[in-house]
Amino acid sequence: MNIPYNLKKVRDVKLTETDLIEFEEEVKQKYEDAEIKAPVHLTKGNEKELIEIFQYVHPEDWVFCGHRNHCQALLHGVPRETLMDLVVRGRSMSVHSKEPKLYSSSIVGGTISIALGSALALKRSGSKRRAWCFIGDMAFETGIFYEAHKYATNFDLPLTFVVEDNNMSTNTPTDETWNYKKRDIPYGVIYYQYERGFPHHGTGNWVLF
Amino acid sequence: MKYKDEIIRSMEWLSEKDDTIFLGQSVLYSGNAIYNTLSTLPPEKMLEVPVFEEVQMGMSTGMALEGLVPISCFPRFDFLLRCMDALVNHLDKFQYMTEGVWNPKVIIRTSIGAKFPLDGGIQHTQDYTNIMKDILTEIDVVLLNEPEEIYPAFQKAYEQNGSSLIIEWGDYYNEK
Repeated sequence: MNIPYNLKKVRDVKLTETDLIEFEEEVKQKYEDAEIKAPVHLTKGNEKELIEIFQYVHPEDWVFCGHRNHCQALLHGVPRETLMDLVVRGRSMSVHSKEPKLYSSSIVGGTISIALGSALALKRSGSKRRAWCFIGDMAFETGIFYEAHKYATNFDLPLTFVVEDNNMSTNTPTDETWNYKKRDIPYGVIYYQYERGFPHHGTGNWVLF
Repeated sequence: MKYKDEIIRSMEWLSEKDDTIFLGQSVLYSGNAIYNTLSTLPPEKMLEVPVFEEVQMGMSTGMALEGLVPISCFPRFDFLLRCMDALVNHLDKFQYMTEGVWNPKVIIRTSIGAKFPLDGGIQHTQDYTNIMKDILTEIDVVLLNEPEEIYPAFQKAYEQNGSSLIIEWGDYYNEK
């Protein structure tokens, strides 16, 4: 995984891979017990990469996520109980927080331009903080990503995109739809590949609600 | 005062606020009717952006999250349709999605394209006001029919919580 040279470690991440796995396992159990009446999108397989990335995310930075957001929220400092409460109340797809600053959206690519705007405002205010935008491989291919990335790069905005590539957009292989042999990774983008350990949504087990 | 003069007066009032910023295409360079309502404002309050409407709307939302009040200008209603995801799925759903934790304030300006003396044609003159009133649940939608409605509408948009979509009639710039 490439970390751009201009980024410095600013956080001592206390959470371990086991902590993240245990949180998602607890959500899995609650979902299978029909306690959660809304879709959940669980993380498994990229805990190590997320822990490494969050060493570069300042607690006062903005974090923007998609539907698979539990681990990013935990690593950014959303308390475990607060997050579990959101998830149990059916808010897994729109996990949010004021402090730390976090917004997630379940529309592919929907956070990209919002993250861009927050980065622009941060720069104009003279803040040292930055915005982080976690996106999947299909969002990475959208036109809005290239517009926003171009604008952020040309204006040197404090915005870092993190592309989490499991090559799946729901259950559609991204590389097949774009006929990719190899992807070019634009300047400044953190990119890693992983194999997802859970289905797109749910747990892989039949649940009777 | 006349319709266009009331809009200029409103923009001048908004520009005096420390937290406002005006963005869009032709906010700093001439090219459309909206420019003619902004040309007296300080250039440092202007952000000329590329033609990327969806990015512009999302960018306005993100700036508002950081405490700015963007006056995001879309020269024609027809062009606003290019940012429906950022408008309908995001800006308009922010309070619901974040349980009121975040409530970005964006003032969106657009205009129903003029038909006189030149008719801009079907892609430049449509009025989607009623559709917006139906589809937007959190954003206040205001159609400016009379000159005396204009200044209070922009005042309210700035002073209230949440975002507003304020729609002008291009034809009234000369008629009223």
